[in-house]
Amino acid sequence: MTQEQTVVDGDWHRVHPASPFVRGWVALAAIIYFFGRDTFERTLQGRGTIGDNFNERTLWLLAGGGVVLLLALGSFVLSWYFTRYQLAEGYVRVNTGFLFKQQRQARLDRVQAIDIVQPLLARIFGLAELKFEVADAGHSAVRLSYLRLAQAKQLRATILGRAAGIADGSETVEVPEAPEQVVLYVPPGRLVGSLILSEQSLFIVLSAIASVLMSVLTESRAFILYLIPAILGLGTAYWRSFNTGYNFTAAISPDGIRLRYGLLDTRAQTVPPGRIQALKVTQPPLWRILGWYRIHVNVAGYGEHHRSEGEHRTMLLPVGRKPEVMMMLSLVLPDPGTADPERVFTAGLTGLDSGAGFVTTPKRAWILSPLGWRRNGFLSTDTALLLRSGRLWRKLVMVPHQRTQSIALHQGPLARLFGVADLVLHTTPGPVAPRLIQAATEEAVSLFDQQGARARKARKLQSSEQWLAQLPPAAMPVPAPPAMHAIRRASTQEEPDHG
Amino acid sequence: MHTAAIDPPGIQWLRVSPKYVTVRLVEWAIGNVIMVGLFSLPLLFVELGWWKWPPLWLAVAVPAALLLIALWRLVLIPRQVRAIGYAERDDDLLIRRGIFFQRTMVVPYGRMQYVDVAVGPVERVLGLCTLKLHTASAGTNAHLPGLPAAEGARLREQLSARGEARLAGL
Repeated sequence: MTQEQTVVDGDWHRVHPASPFVRGWVALAAIIYFFGRDTFERTLQGRGTIGDNFNERTLWLLAGGGVVLLLALGSFVLSWYFTRYQLAEGYVRVNTGFLFKQQRQARLDRVQAIDIVQPLLARIFGLAELKFEVADAGHSAVRLSYLRLAQAKQLRATILGRAAGIADGSETVEVPEAPEQVVLYVPPGRLVGSLILSEQSLFIVLSAIASVLMSVLTESRAFILYLIPAILGLGTAYWRSFNTGYNFTAAISPDGIRLRYGLLDTRAQTVPPGRIQALKVTQPPLWRILGWYRIHVNVAGYGEHHRSEGEHRTMLLPVGRKPEVMMMLSLVLPDPGTADPERVFTAGLTGLDSGAGFVTTPKRAWILSPLGWRRNGFLSTDTALLLRSGRLWRKLVMVPHQRTQSIALHQGPLARLFGVADLVLHTTPGPVAPRLIQAATEEAVSLFDQQGARARKARKLQSSEQWLAQLPPAAMPVPAPPAMHAIRRASTQEEPDHG
Repeated sequence: MHTAAIDPPGIQWLRVSPKYVTVRLVEWAIGNVIMVGLFSLPLLFVELGWWKWPPLWLAVAVPAALLLIALWRLVLIPRQVRAIGYAERDDDLLIRRGIFFQRTMVVPYGRMQYVDVAVGPVERVLGLCTLKLHTASAGTNAHLPGLPAAEGARLREQLSARGEARLAGL
């Protein structure tokens, strides 16, 4: 029944037969509980399964429950039977539904990112969901749930191999899983520390102080009671962050950056090289004590999902020190485009004024942001635009030139009075919204003009192939990729034409 | 021709059709007449003695203030329409708008995913259309209203052709 053999082109495959149960176990449990409660209670109380006052009601309940259960099981079997997938001619096709059939197909070379997700129950059964984002028509991801873990990994390797052009679409060979090298691990202790020092904790402390003050001033204890729901809510937020950030591991492989994390539900994300559209490094005020930062990214497709899930998927580094931040930056942007990346990025993370070449808000406009004007600034390297802001909540945004979609200049009446303007870079939906605030008008205009030209130039020499070439372990430049590979890459870079 | 400080130097802006003022006027009328009318109802009821509250001065002041704002916006409409401009460059399209809150945007041809032409009822009567550009970013809210239908069709073809020629990956 299950496909233990490798995925061969053109064949239709079914997902694992246990899938509907893993997905729908809550419904099954609810049905059994609802209809069988009476009988269970009797049995537990030692009154016999069928009591003395056996009446029609119990019988009808059990019979009705049986019918509903059978219907549910039947629909599970049918949904499993009609869910099939195929990998052929550079496409993945997934068919679902028996009353309302749906076929979804995705071009392999448009794969933006690929995740292997294991919810707790699936993990117990050794199953996994394969989910991938495609920058093609339609906004939803393609998901295959559930496959055996090994099979999911194999399929991921095949898809990524095809996407990168290693294996031609017509071949039926098994693509070996790309070797990976772990480059970063976030110990649980630091994760807990980062949560304790996060903005949430600051909020708790502030609201506790406020409510104590209010209680003292008004001589009423009611204010402390208001804290309870707030603390409960924050508790779940802490738990969620801990659950998803636990065991965070980053690795590099020729397929891209691999991220693995999760305590109960685990997830393994693979972001192929050059798919990151924008990146931001932030530092909440309290993290400054220990020199911690975190990194979020925009990847096409990640922003489309509802917030709670998307929030964690866009996390490239939940908490890390400066060397780790530098390493992640070097992974995302192998060629920083400056002679001294260390100095430039340090100035971007913590610097003030025009250190390392940053251009800041002119002094005449200091009143518009009395704290931040020395920090608001930009620097354009040969390959990316760096935007920094925030004196208390430090933030550094990086957008590779070839990922810029469109650019806008904004200027309101107040900004015009002070001769400043904002520059907004548009990128795919996600947590990073690059915006240069309060730059001198003439500088903003010239950046606006130059940035367009830089983006154009960078698009012409897209070089994501060299992704592994400049990593610390492999300091020697890798020879240029074979011509075949380059051609394939070039032909896969076209934009979807919706005409 | 009006060029503001945030426009890149040396751009010859093409303006949208002056007939677009009419479209904006109709929109203005529909929005504001209903609004001012609704907020004048309390005044009517107070005058007729049906309502005890609000006091007369408040019942007068609210619709009067709304009317003033509406008139102010009415006066601005022709200038706002004149402030909309676009320019086709070799590799990108520039769009500007706004008097108080100015916004200049550049959309590279290679980044356009598709181009829409939309025509509303009033626009149809006047022979105008609205051009919408879409990139992979939701932030690209690029639309050019008030183009003559022929110019809109020409731009759509032109932009699609240029987009094809300069295709780029995401």
